[in-house]
Amino acid sequence: MAVERKGQFGLWPAGLIFAGLFIVPLLWFFVISFWTVRSLRMRPALSLRNYVEAVQGYGDVLVYTLAVSGAIAVLTTTLAFVFAYAIRFRLGRFANLFLFVTLLTLFGGYLVKIYAWKSILGTEGVLNQTLMGLGLIHTPISALLYSTNGVVVTLTYFLLPFAVLPVYGSLRGIKDVTMECARDLGASPWAVMRDMVLPQAQGGIMTAFTLSFLISAGDYVTPRFVGGGSAMVGTFIENQFTSAFNWHWVRPWPSSR
Amino acid sequence: MRALLAHAAWVVAALLIAGFLVFPIVLVVLFSFNTSALTSLPLSGLTLGWYAKLFSIEYFLPALVNSLIIGAAVSILTLASGTFAALALTQMRSERARRLLAGLSLPMMMPALVIGIALLSFFVRLLSVPLGLGTVIAAQLVVVQPFVIAILYARLQSFDWAIVDSARDLGATPFQAFRTVTLPIIRSTMVGAGLIALAISLDDFVITFFTIGSGNTLPTMVWGLVRTSLDPTINALATLLIVFSLGASALALRFSRYRG
Repeated sequence: MAVERKGQFGLWPAGLIFAGLFIVPLLWFFVISFWTVRSLRMRPALSLRNYVEAVQGYGDVLVYTLAVSGAIAVLTTTLAFVFAYAIRFRLGRFANLFLFVTLLTLFGGYLVKIYAWKSILGTEGVLNQTLMGLGLIHTPISALLYSTNGVVVTLTYFLLPFAVLPVYGSLRGIKDVTMECARDLGASPWAVMRDMVLPQAQGGIMTAFTLSFLISAGDYVTPRFVGGGSAMVGTFIENQFTSAFNWHWVRPWPSSR
Repeated sequence: MRALLAHAAWVVAALLIAGFLVFPIVLVVLFSFNTSALTSLPLSGLTLGWYAKLFSIEYFLPALVNSLIIGAAVSILTLASGTFAALALTQMRSERARRLLAGLSLPMMMPALVIGIALLSFFVRLLSVPLGLGTVIAAQLVVVQPFVIAILYARLQSFDWAIVDSARDLGATPFQAFRTVTLPIIRSTMVGAGLIALAISLDDFVITFFTIGSGNTLPTMVWGLVRTSLDPTINALATLLIVFSLGASALALRFSRYRG
């Protein structure tokens, strides 16, 4: 729209919610991260001790979290690209059905999904029971659940629909005609992929990657239910908060912004 | 021949991924009707017993009611604030609108855990308000709102403001113009956005968990059950949650034709 119109007070309600329930609480949170605890009570102060303690004592938790989230983001983005590419270019009239499945699983049950994988991967779970029933294994594989594997599979499953949509959105911009031209002029399938599809999908792929990385780095329910002994930052924060009541350690960490 | 093989490979990969997306949810639903408490295939028989057991848990109905109250309040309030915001954004220069939209969407990018804890300490320590449904609703507003604004803003991109101007020139008050011209055009998108808001609210666990104090919603009840027991009552509850959120999003897709 060329001309700005009047009457922009429509933004006020949304702006108030944003400022009052997001900006102010986070600022407050930032302030108390500098407080100290003396005789089990928080005292206003300006101390960096909490940060030093958090980094010194839990640096390896941070590294583990970044590594696992990175692996999940790579896996999720790859699967999302394959799926989105197939929907856009290979599935013809079934494409809409596959897209519909993706959109439906998008909002359906965060805890339900975690629980589903818990019951699939457990020693008494579907996978082990079925494999034993088929006589392929004799003792259940216990490394499936309560391990990094469990976290990776469950979070990849949860994040996949969120990652497919931006990638599909960017692939939708590529015209069939351009693809056909490239092929008619002798480009190999690999060349088409490398020089045409991937560059055009770059924005969507980056969005998918960032989204998967941030969500998995901030998650704590999944590692708690299906993860092994090594805590991720989220589980650690939740523990500090609910059992140790170390409120002053709990703060937004750099990767979240 | 090679092209055909490559094509087949893409189709098979897509089918496998679609199976990966659908299979766990189908399993949860199937096992909620299974007579045996063991999660192994094939099913041993069909029963509604786990649903009966679920309904006999005394805190199930309060949790359901809480979820519905929170969901209704959050979707109505975010729909109101989101519609006004999207209308205002559409009337701005697009780069400015896009910057504001990105700003308002920040809560989507912040880990829910951080928002939940920040809001909890904000409510308890700074404001000293009692935790309950009110604080959950307030907390959910800020994370649900960006979705509503984004969906409506996308739809309003193709909105022709000239027709509103014509209505105004012909003597309609701003409110009349909104009610008789703007509203009928964006109504179906609004219904869609409201249902997406409802689906997100019904499914929210982390923020609800930190801001509810005592009491339950359906997701916090799932959390409690998963921690304490492992029998198909959870599957029955999970199936209900799936029906709610899938139903809301399926209806939303129908109304808004939302595509990403």
